[in-house]
Amino acid sequence: MIFVAVGTQFSFDRLIQYMDEWARDNEETVVAQIGEGSYEPKHMQWERFLNGDQYNKNIKESSVFVSHAGMGNIISARENQTPIIVINRQYELGEHRNNHQAEGLLWMGKLPGVYTADTQETLYSQLESRDAMESPEESDNQNRQKLVSFLGDYIDGSIT
Amino acid sequence: MTKKKKILAISSPGGHWIQLNKICNDMEQRFDVVYATAGTQYGSQKSHRKIHNIMDASADSKLKLIPLAVQLLIIMAKERPTAIISTGAAPGAIAVLIAKFLPIKTIWVDSIANVAKLSRSGDMVKNHANLVITQWEPLSDGTKIRYQGSVL
Repeated sequence: MIFVAVGTQFSFDRLIQYMDEWARDNEETVVAQIGEGSYEPKHMQWERFLNGDQYNKNIKESSVFVSHAGMGNIISARENQTPIIVINRQYELGEHRNNHQAEGLLWMGKLPGVYTADTQETLYSQLESRDAMESPEESDNQNRQKLVSFLGDYIDGSIT
Repeated sequence: MTKKKKILAISSPGGHWIQLNKICNDMEQRFDVVYATAGTQYGSQKSHRKIHNIMDASADSKLKLIPLAVQLLIIMAKERPTAIISTGAAPGAIAVLIAKFLPIKTIWVDSIANVAKLSRSGDMVKNHANLVITQWEPLSDGTKIRYQGSVL
């Protein structure tokens, strides 16, 4: 199963339509949370909003999570060890109030388990290689453990 | 049992707040962590936590920064933290500038979104905070701006 979510603050019809067309041409089950978008999918299961438990369950059970380029979903994907493909909203198309998601792709793509796309073509080509995608386990996020213990030791005064 | 040291964790809502939580959730065993952010909608995530609501101000709304500074000063006077920690943006920067004059350690963790250069608020506080952390190794200068891991 592939889970698609666009957040609750803005709609993102373009991504929903890309994924609906992909679902039409592929065998895989696709489930989408579409927010207040005006495009209603025909080839995938969809809901406008999901409660937090269902939302997390979908992330956990999906083989890949397709999302707008939001930090919250990146973190949730990592917590559930699900690879995530992020595609940026474009300010020029009225999809957000600024273009920070386009800039975000630069750093998001450097994170483990995060894959990026900025067009329909790049999204589809990422989906093609979804079987090879992996997301590392959050519980051994050594990067964060290292940061947190360094900060703790600094506050305690054992390092300066 | 000795009393835990207190940390005041401050950020604006959204991505900064998410990062602050990723750091501070793991610190709650070791320290007494109190929070300050704007917007009560973020208060319900973990109900046992103490969250001060502060004004939603950014560097673009300079007039609001003055009452925000007063709010932060009152919170610091009340909580008397050993250290403050912030991931950004304006509220954290102002807190660092105030705490500089108080016996409080100040820690700035620059947002992970700043991959090519330090954030605007990070630039503002880098010579004032006791500890400045970047989450991207290439941005570390090895002395003042340090890399020690990241939230993701």
